Amino acid sequence: MTKRFSLKQFMLNYLVLVAIVLLVIITIMVEPKFLSGENLTNIMRQFGPLSFVSLGMTFVIIGGFIDLSVAGIISLVAVVTVSLIDPLGQVYALIIGIALGAFLGFLNSMVLISAGALTQAEALFITFGMSAVYSALALIYTDGSTQHMSWLEGNQSIFNSIGSGMVGILSVSFLIFLVSLGALWIFHNKTYSGRAISYTGGNKVAAELSGIPIKRSVILIYTICGLMSAIGAVVLFSRITTAAPIIGKGYETNAILSVVVGGTTLKGGKGSVLRTVLGVLLITLMSNCMNLLGVSSYMQVVLKGAILVVAIWLDNRKEQ
Amino acid sequence: MSKKILVVLLALMMVVGVFACKPAATTEAAAPAEEGAKTYKAAFITQALSNESQAYSWKQLQQYAPEYGFTVDVFEGQNDVQNEAKAVSTCIAQGYDAIFINPSDINAIVPSLMEAKEAGVIVGMFSSDLPAESQQYRDFFCGVDDTMAGETAGKAFVDHFPDGAFIVEIGGQAGHDAQIKRADGFRKAIEGSKINLADSQNCSGWVTADAMAIMEDFIVKYGDQIQGVFCHWDNGATGIIEALKNANMNDVYLIGVDGCRAGYDQVKAGTQAVTIGQSFTNMAIKSLECAKAMLEGKPFEAVNFIPLDVVTKDNIDTFPYPEW
Repeated sequence: MTKRFSLKQFMLNYLVLVAIVLLVIITIMVEPKFLSGENLTNIMRQFGPLSFVSLGMTFVIIGGFIDLSVAGIISLVAVVTVSLIDPLGQVYALIIGIALGAFLGFLNSMVLISAGALTQAEALFITFGMSAVYSALALIYTDGSTQHMSWLEGNQSIFNSIGSGMVGILSVSFLIFLVSLGALWIFHNKTYSGRAISYTGGNKVAAELSGIPIKRSVILIYTICGLMSAIGAVVLFSRITTAAPIIGKGYETNAILSVVVGGTTLKGGKGSVLRTVLGVLLITLMSNCMNLLGVSSYMQVVLKGAILVVAIWLDNRKEQ
Repeated sequence: MSKKILVVLLALMMVVGVFACKPAATTEAAAPAEEGAKTYKAAFITQALSNESQAYSWKQLQQYAPEYGFTVDVFEGQNDVQNEAKAVSTCIAQGYDAIFINPSDINAIVPSLMEAKEAGVIVGMFSSDLPAESQQYRDFFCGVDDTMAGETAGKAFVDHFPDGAFIVEIGGQAGHDAQIKRADGFRKAIEGSKINLADSQNCSGWVTADAMAIMEDFIVKYGDQIQGVFCHWDNGATGIIEALKNANMNDVYLIGVDGCRAGYDQVKAGTQAVTIGQSFTNMAIKSLECAKAMLEGKPFEAVNFIPLDVVTKDNIDTFPYPEW
């Protein structure tokens, strides 16, 4: 039996795709340079840091939680990694920085489990607190100063490649993103632990009664988010060549915005990293297109807010 | 077991909190100006110590306070005017002699400053002044004139490009007092000249990544037409330099404001033409001088604009290297 095409259902499910196509068409009509190779490279580079953080946040939201600590994790990982380049060398600095992000995510999960915090609201307050701690540590660690990579003497070739290197027509950071996306998609869809995260987010009580290890899922969710935030931090400071102790500010809200706009439900249980890619693409394109179109920064903030409201409204409509 | 872990973690968080929260530290009045002279108690109420210039100002106040017979505590508002208002109340209750305040919102802080004045606390505005209609609620202001900083940048463009140029502007945090004044001053200075301000965008915060992304988009839009860029802060200029480098545009005339280490290094390296420096050291010293003069009943100026340093590759060695 052929399923009837429903425009309403299509719009509810793929509005983000429609929005991207419309935005691109309008921008091309007004500013044809949008399609230039230079701009496509820009989009790839601007896509970088937020895309990694959003991939991690996808698992948190699918699992029925929220993580506001990513801002603090990004800040702390960035300043620690940059500070270790001279004394330890770039390879060890990179390894320690990424391991630190994963550890901070793990620490979040331990606090949540210890506190018995299994609701989104509890996670929101606890991770907000953890973010404050990590951000304060970044400030204490640097004495409030921005660290510039130009001040370092050690070899920074890895970070230079991540920040501005190209492999053919793709930026290095975009290639790392594609590898991460593939690995996380396989983890989510093809492994028991990945599916357990969706069951956990769908209904924690039912999942527990079915023998799903909830605590293990919580540990995995937050560790992945910490790890991806750390990779995002490395991509970010490699791109801009500075690490300020507040460098992660705003990434938590933009990551949640990207995940929700992509179509992952805030209620947990359903979602996909592929959908998040669409969300990040829309957010990145919005800034790029609006700068090319000359839309004022105030109006850009208004439009971002409006998109979040529409995405949540659509999310609720889909449930009805 | 899990409860023990939670207790340990919470204890750790509290320890960090104690270090990170206000008041962060107090200067030791180890070397007052004169032996046996009275020591005064002052507070530095700042928007956020995560703002580098404010963290540096706090260091400067700590360094110079003993010389003027003060001990100074810092209160951090975390960019929330309510926290700053609470800090003012605390200072009144604890009998502080003077406060040096750089508020997040120069209008919203006025009622708190009225209370401070009524309680006899000396109110010194630091870096940002109150609006003209409320200036009776402060005793003095020490800071740079952000409008003047914008004007200085505009004048530098007019001088460097007497035959005109195609330039773009990347502003600081949209809606921030300094962003608005620097933009206003800049426009005023280039008005009537041959400088063509082709485009302007502000950032969501004083965020280098934002400045870099906007510059990348400007490069796509205008390409080699761009001859100059006015960036409202030196750390933002770092991102702009990266964007220009990636586009192989090496001869763009870039001006930034702040005069911080990054700005000096960029001017020295030739990637930034000018940095318009604000001396937070002089701002801190002048604030202490004014408060001391007022406490001792001596005359002082109510409005103290700290002169701006226009730092270029030619004169950079005549200025002390900044510490922030």
